[in-house]
Amino acid sequence: MTAAQNWFESDPLWFKTAIFYEIHLRGFYDGTGDGHGDFRGLTEKLDYLQWLGVDVIWLLPMYPSPLRDGGYDIADFYGVHPDYGTMDDVRAFIEAAHERGIRVIADLVMNHTSNEHEWFQEARSSPDSPKRDWYVWTDDPTMYEDARIIFIDSETSNWTWDDKAGAYYWHRFFHHQPDLNYDNPEVREAMLDVLRFWLEAGLDGFRLDAVPYLYERHGTNCENLDETHTFLKEVRATVDDEYPDRVLLAEANQWPADVVEYFGEGDECHMAFHFPVMPRMFMALRREEAAPILEILAQTPHIPANCQWGLFLRNHDELTLEMVTDEERDYMYEEYAKDPRMKINLGIRRRLAPLMDGGRDEIELLHAMLFSLPGSPVLYYGDEIAMGDNVYLGDRDGVRTPMQWTGDRNGGFSRADFAQLYAPPLMDPVYGYQAVNVEAQLRTPSSLLRWLRRFIALRKEHPVFGLGSFEAIATTNPKIFACIRTYEDDVVLCVHNLARSAQAVELDLSWYNGRYPIEMFGRTRFPKIGELPYLLTLAPRGFFWFRIEEDDDERA
Amino acid sequence: MSVPDQITEPLEDWLTQQRWFASKAREVASAKILERVPLSDAPALEIDILEARFHAGTHELYQLLPGEPEGVRVLARLFGTQTATDCVAFHGGLEPTGHVRSMGAEQSNSSIVFGEQQVLKVFRRIEPGINPELEMLRFLSTRDFENIATLTGWYDYTGDLMQATLGILQEFIGEARDGWQLALDDPLGLLHRLPELGTATGRMHSVLASDAADPAFAPEEPSAEALALLTATIDEQIERAFLDLPDDPVLAPIAGRGEEVRDRLQLMSHVGVGGRIIRHHGDYHLGQTMLRDAGWIILDFEGEPARSLRERRRKRSPLRDIAGMLRSFAYAASASEVLRGVPAPEGWEERARKAFLDAYLGAVEPTLLPAGQGAIDKLLAIFELEKAVYELHYELNNRPDWVPIPVAGIARLLDVEVTS
Repeated sequence: MTAAQNWFESDPLWFKTAIFYEIHLRGFYDGTGDGHGDFRGLTEKLDYLQWLGVDVIWLLPMYPSPLRDGGYDIADFYGVHPDYGTMDDVRAFIEAAHERGIRVIADLVMNHTSNEHEWFQEARSSPDSPKRDWYVWTDDPTMYEDARIIFIDSETSNWTWDDKAGAYYWHRFFHHQPDLNYDNPEVREAMLDVLRFWLEAGLDGFRLDAVPYLYERHGTNCENLDETHTFLKEVRATVDDEYPDRVLLAEANQWPADVVEYFGEGDECHMAFHFPVMPRMFMALRREEAAPILEILAQTPHIPANCQWGLFLRNHDELTLEMVTDEERDYMYEEYAKDPRMKINLGIRRRLAPLMDGGRDEIELLHAMLFSLPGSPVLYYGDEIAMGDNVYLGDRDGVRTPMQWTGDRNGGFSRADFAQLYAPPLMDPVYGYQAVNVEAQLRTPSSLLRWLRRFIALRKEHPVFGLGSFEAIATTNPKIFACIRTYEDDVVLCVHNLARSAQAVELDLSWYNGRYPIEMFGRTRFPKIGELPYLLTLAPRGFFWFRIEEDDDERA
Repeated sequence: MSVPDQITEPLEDWLTQQRWFASKAREVASAKILERVPLSDAPALEIDILEARFHAGTHELYQLLPGEPEGVRVLARLFGTQTATDCVAFHGGLEPTGHVRSMGAEQSNSSIVFGEQQVLKVFRRIEPGINPELEMLRFLSTRDFENIATLTGWYDYTGDLMQATLGILQEFIGEARDGWQLALDDPLGLLHRLPELGTATGRMHSVLASDAADPAFAPEEPSAEALALLTATIDEQIERAFLDLPDDPVLAPIAGRGEEVRDRLQLMSHVGVGGRIIRHHGDYHLGQTMLRDAGWIILDFEGEPARSLRERRRKRSPLRDIAGMLRSFAYAASASEVLRGVPAPEGWEERARKAFLDAYLGAVEPTLLPAGQGAIDKLLAIFELEKAVYELHYELNNRPDWVPIPVAGIARLLDVEVTS
């Protein structure tokens, strides 16, 4: 039995009620004073994360890498980047996290490696190299031409010529990220060994990056192929068999009907991100109507009972607009990316707070809607204090600036000289570290940070949000997003006002005739539910969460 | 033999009547035996793990103990043989013998005394991880800390569900009086012995902080946010406690003063971070101490049973224990009046505080505490406030007669001058 299990009760569904927190290690806290965040620094901040109510830390890739794609270009699967520390630091961190009841998952890129990975170096060295067939080569760069190009801003083809190899190699992402050849059983076995190595080190699971692209087949778009699912099922069976209670979280930026394939029959990935619902929450807010959210939820198929959606507002990438129509995309750009610098690929590279123009009510409302949906919320570091972004940094680095801990030098992120920092901390008057930091918000009872902690605690008191059924309630007012969540005897009603103005709404709650809504924050009892429509009035961008309490007479 | 077979009523009803059942305020939706662990064939003996599920979908696990005295005697024998099954192992080697009797008046555990020599403490609610009581006693025993009852054995579970400590076997302290009774019976006599208790407590903290090589015990620097996180948490507790404060004359000294208490907390928290965080007793008060001729014995290192096991194992400032003891002096002073109708001697609480604190500060490793008396006082006051707010909530719900004690405690902190 591994050390990890000592701290947790065996529960194959633990991830369904968990709060995830995504961390860019380089930007979180510098424990060694060299200008980069690292494992020692992160370990020092575990008390903060425990206080906040975080159940799972999701780490962006921490492996050795030339860092031409934020570490998603892995040069060695069996180590950590020296900037972040040593394997001993990783193990100490995982143990310290487990002691606090926090699990740890990490990004793992299965689709490709860095071109600096020794596998690729061997493969390109000669057509006879035993590693040659670990990658995908061709003499004909028109092969698989139905596969789209993902990084349209920087790549012109999925094939790149390699002089040394004398052939083209296949890559779905940057040209310095050659795709592994999953038709080769050696590659599949090598990747299973990588998983074993990290699970043995104590990791509680993986976020599997870019899983739809593992295989290539003629005449297809080379995404979501059957072969991919077969391999992922093999991964799942291996993990279940050798390391119970771990989680596989698929990153498949696809439509819900395609994404659910990654759950299999509950025998593939435990979790997958629900990408399309995210931009629609932003759209619903701007349009002041619930329809975009309701539509996408209606299109979302049921998933196996032992699976869960990962839900998020923002992450380390751009706010992706791949899963919207052209018209919707134009609308989103118009509303949320007024400066062209804010656009990247098919998305918007901004953080939550600036997207909301710093509006506290809007930020709270989005969290309320996120927390009310069926799934496990994934928070992005810094968004809990309403950190801003820096659109003048390249690629997606603008949303990966140093965590703002205090109002001191470097925002309390590092004791290194300013010039040594991997990226400048934000210093603008609105979102800069002197205005926005953890220390100040901890001291201010009305801060976003303190509010969010209470809200997280509230959600965690009710497993219904992770385990229960979800039913959107039809309302007379299109500006209201209302839903009922039910699990065992716990019934929760969530009502959100998307409008900038106060709204009234009548809800048909006759099913709960005779019971009382108890507002969950202040524990205030509202009038009894009757046969007639239940009238609620909501403040601009306001929301109510109620527990539907049983009638006293009934209980006695 | 097995317990469930002997229970005739529905398991849910039986469970909620048990003294050790932790969640009496909650309605049990269902209860069932999750696992039966056979320990011995002849005579037949098994331990059962019971799951209580609540309507919100959460659950708790409990250990069911075989009947007394026969079942317990069989269990005792397993310590002697150091039996180990697939998932339960007994450690120790010394079989407790003699007359078997159970100790009354316990809340979260069951204790059985063997021949007035040893006591078996069975943890009823089980959670993953080593129980702090076992961990602390092992640590303190191997470092020759004398003011504890010697650990003689334990048994634990390693199964599909979790790893957990099930119970410990310990020297039974018979001929002694507990500190709480002493405070009521002979308050002035106790005052003379409090310096000894303060010294023993100081030594206990110093010993607990003495091994930098053991990660579970190595003293640590508090993190930069430690005080702010603590203050924010207490601030929330105050807010919640005052949110639904009933309209009762007993609460007059603090009624409507929630914001004032929160402001006071902010003021007290303006103290530089200092000292160390260490493993500590966790639920320290007069009732956890026994006085015998040879000196004080400190008992019950389990921590506050209402907190999660993980929370109880956390390192924190040793002053948290001290605040617990000081609050129990406040309780003792009032209890004399409430329980016996005899007021405590004039100024007793203040004298007790001073006697205990002076000796403690003289004995404890000074680097464990913040630098300077002012900083110590403030941090101590923060912990006392935390306790008093918890007490207020608890007494309002459970013992209305005792509400004046935390009320006085909170009011007292409001009236103390805060120096910067």
